[in-house]
Amino acid sequence: MVQEADLSAFRSKLGSEVEKALHDKKVIRKEDTTYRIISKSVTEYQFIVPFDLPDEQRVEVGQIFSIKDHDEARGRRLTFLARVLDIQHGSNYEGNWDTTMKGTQFFDHEQIFNRVFAGPLGCVNCDGSFRKSRTIPTKFSTVSRAERSEFKFLKQVMGDIEIGYLRNGSRLVEEIPVALHSDTIDHHMGVFATTGMGKSNFMKVFAASCMRLAVRGESKFGLLIVDPHGEYLNGKGSIKGLMHLKRYRDGLACYSTDRKNSQDPGVEELAISESEVRPEDIALLYEWSPPQRDALDAISRIFDGGNWLEEIQSPDGLARMMQEGFKDSTVNVLVRRIKNILEKNKYIQRRSSLANILASLQSGKVVLVDIPRMSDRSELFLLSVISRYIMEEYKKDEHEGRKNCLITIEEAQRVLGAGSNTSRFETIAREGRKFGVGLCAITQQPKLIDKQLLSQFNTLVVMGLGDRNDRIQLEESAKQDLSTLDIEIQTLEKGEAIVSTLKIPFPVPARIHRFEDYLRRLEKEDADDALISRGGFRPFLE
Amino acid sequence: MWDFGRLSIVAELIRDHIYLESIDEYCEKTGVRKKDFVPIEAQDFGGEIFAVDGSNAAVCNWSVANLNLIRAGFAVYRGREWQRTTITYDDVFLADPRICEDLFDPCLKAFFGLKGIDLKESDLDRLSTYFRELQEYIALNEAIIEARSGDIILYDGGFDVFEPLRSVLAVIFKRAEDKDVDLLAVSKSSTLFWGEGLTLPFLQHTSYAGSLFVPGVPWYLDLKDKRVEHGQGRWNGETYIARFAGSSERAFRVDAPSYVRDRIGSALGKLVAHSCSSECLGYPHALFRAHEDVRISGQECDLLRLRLMEMLGDMGMSEPHVRMLMQDFHDVLDMRQQI
Ligand SMILES: Nc1ncnc2c1ncn2[C@@H]1O[C@H](COP(=O)(O)OP(=O)(O)OP(=O)(O)O)[C@@H](O)[C@H]1O
Ligand SMILES: [Mg+2]
Repeated sequence: MVQEADLSAFRSKLGSEVEKALHDKKVIRKEDTTYRIISKSVTEYQFIVPFDLPDEQRVEVGQIFSIKDHDEARGRRLTFLARVLDIQHGSNYEGNWDTTMKGTQFFDHEQIFNRVFAGPLGCVNCDGSFRKSRTIPTKFSTVSRAERSEFKFLKQVMGDIEIGYLRNGSRLVEEIPVALHSDTIDHHMGVFATTGMGKSNFMKVFAASCMRLAVRGESKFGLLIVDPHGEYLNGKGSIKGLMHLKRYRDGLACYSTDRKNSQDPGVEELAISESEVRPEDIALLYEWSPPQRDALDAISRIFDGGNWLEEIQSPDGLARMMQEGFKDSTVNVLVRRIKNILEKNKYIQRRSSLANILASLQSGKVVLVDIPRMSDRSELFLLSVISRYIMEEYKKDEHEGRKNCLITIEEAQRVLGAGSNTSRFETIAREGRKFGVGLCAITQQPKLIDKQLLSQFNTLVVMGLGDRNDRIQLEESAKQDLSTLDIEIQTLEKGEAIVSTLKIPFPVPARIHRFEDYLRRLEKEDADDALISRGGFRPFLE
Repeated sequence: MWDFGRLSIVAELIRDHIYLESIDEYCEKTGVRKKDFVPIEAQDFGGEIFAVDGSNAAVCNWSVANLNLIRAGFAVYRGREWQRTTITYDDVFLADPRICEDLFDPCLKAFFGLKGIDLKESDLDRLSTYFRELQEYIALNEAIIEARSGDIILYDGGFDVFEPLRSVLAVIFKRAEDKDVDLLAVSKSSTLFWGEGLTLPFLQHTSYAGSLFVPGVPWYLDLKDKRVEHGQGRWNGETYIARFAGSSERAFRVDAPSYVRDRIGSALGKLVAHSCSSECLGYPHALFRAHEDVRISGQECDLLRLRLMEMLGDMGMSEPHVRMLMQDFHDVLDMRQQI
């Protein structure tokens, strides 16, 4: 039993506690019932908002909210940033009354709400540094739309290759340019979108930023673009090309198979020497029967590497092939096709541009190889010749100041598909990194790209993808979790993207600059002004 | 196995007495007539409705003292629009006769200008009930302060209360009258009975009678002069039975201080206009909301119990020791995980 003395001490303590709390009261008002965190885990936050908001206050997938978990007295000062992944109807009645409309109407509209599911981006602590969040906001922390000042934390994680602005739902945050990191680029990169969603536009913006870095002496890699559609050099109509970026023109080296284009003094006529073509390049150009394939494979054994194209066309060449046991009909097909190739591809000459191309790449420039009206197979053939050359050169010892290289492949599913016969690109994909050669694969159908290869891509630019299988393929192989963004990826509009890259701790929602607008801005910017830190300029004509 | 003999006797009893075939006997014995059922006309009302409720949940039961979580407060509506919910008390209560006055007396003095009340004889369960009621009255008092003349103040419960707290109610009635607000207590459950031999449920039978006499409309019945024990004379007011919506099957006991008597029809009319929500048809909606907002969930008690365990642990008590003290042997028998 408690002793008398102890009891009275306890009673006096209790008495003062009671006295102190006598007039305490807590008032809950309408504004307290929504915009608060109510669930749920480190990877998903849930909060509720009124179900009947006016249009300008509606919550959208992709919008960024800030969660202020501030309580000075208890030493809490974190601000969490999260983006909306999904919105659902909800109520405190859990459906009990929603469908049985007895009575005349619901009285308690704040008991009915929309439940917002949000994915964490990271948190900002009191010293203003932004990092990935390993914790969860305190329950009932208040939630509000992120303000401009809160976005600036995201600036800390951006890189040097500007590609667009941060997107908050469908709104732009112009203060925050989205920029990739140069040093992650030798790791491969992928650009995915259904047709017309803005892949080519993205590549031009990307290339423009690279040209700018090259001119400023800040480039860390050379970018090779082989363009079979003739859209990058001069554009078409109102669509501009890379040549229009006069200010950073020195960061670009152009080669063209087109007579007219190469009359421009800044464009060199593309040439590949016969000695740079290998049988396996020829292999890409046609379907071959098994005996024809065998014959092709034997060529490098039978002839001298540098001169085989000429030798095999001579009567002597035919004889040597037959000596090796190949039928004359087989060899004749081979020879006829080779003649045809040389006939059609006038750029195969004595002279070669490859050494120059390589030098430009190694000095960190953008190299554009313009091959308009070239057939699909011819393009692959050329790409194969160039990239083999680059790969072989990069395998040699690195010389002082050599920059890495990124090789762009359009319609990459042709060469990086499961079971494609173009092992060249797969080799680059698998071992290029060791030598500083990366791939930038552009495709409309990521589902056709070999999954293992895809998982080696460290930078993904995902634009609108309607096909579920395409999205699943990406979500399953991405380094960052994209599956929670599935709804957003489905609803991306032209020019909108989710950018997932190693150095940025979360997949970034971006609106890629329209190339023409970006051009105008680049032409105007102050020479010394770092582009990234600028804000306020509106390149978009709404 | 047993046979169902006794069960069938109970069934017979229910059929013969509780289930009414005709209401003649009910009318005769209670003195209730058809004309006593007064239809209520819904009335427009621009003022505010305050609804007061309380909640009491056991955190743990020792043999010498009980720890309860008690919460009291009120919800405020203007028309169909919820304005706010105010929680006036939300804390634990330790039921122990030796410290009771430390908990009751400051409240009685601060809010009602009353000297202490004598609770020495009350058992522990009663103590927490009294304390909860006291906190509800403090919430009522706060609602009266916030209300304006003409507003309605609803209390979830009845005014026929245990002796020790009657003096508190008297103060509240006086303040409500001075403020000119309509103070009404609405009971969800009622202990009204009629008949001499078997006690028969008065509220349910009255409700049934009402649907026969005045079907499809809201009504009220004044119990003054009716032959049914409802604590008349023990407190300064009247008891009514009311149905708040024509399409509802339920009726409620309504207690009102005597100063409300001559305007009871209009007061109930205002309630009828606000007892038609989809959430809870036929019950004053503000009371529904107060109940929702003040209710203590099982989860909260579990959390509090855990927190208490933690504190005891921090203070150096071992878990088996605490468990030995806190665990109720019923929980052991029923294999419930309590702590
Ligand atoms: N970020 C953007 N902002 C504004 N307009 C854009 C943006 N991206 C693309 N567009 C416009 O959308 C149209 C199609 O873009 P683009 O040619 O880049 O698409 P694509 O994905 O490369 O299509 P395809 O599959 O045919 O190659 C162009 O007219 C372009 O100007
Ligand atoms: Mg394109």
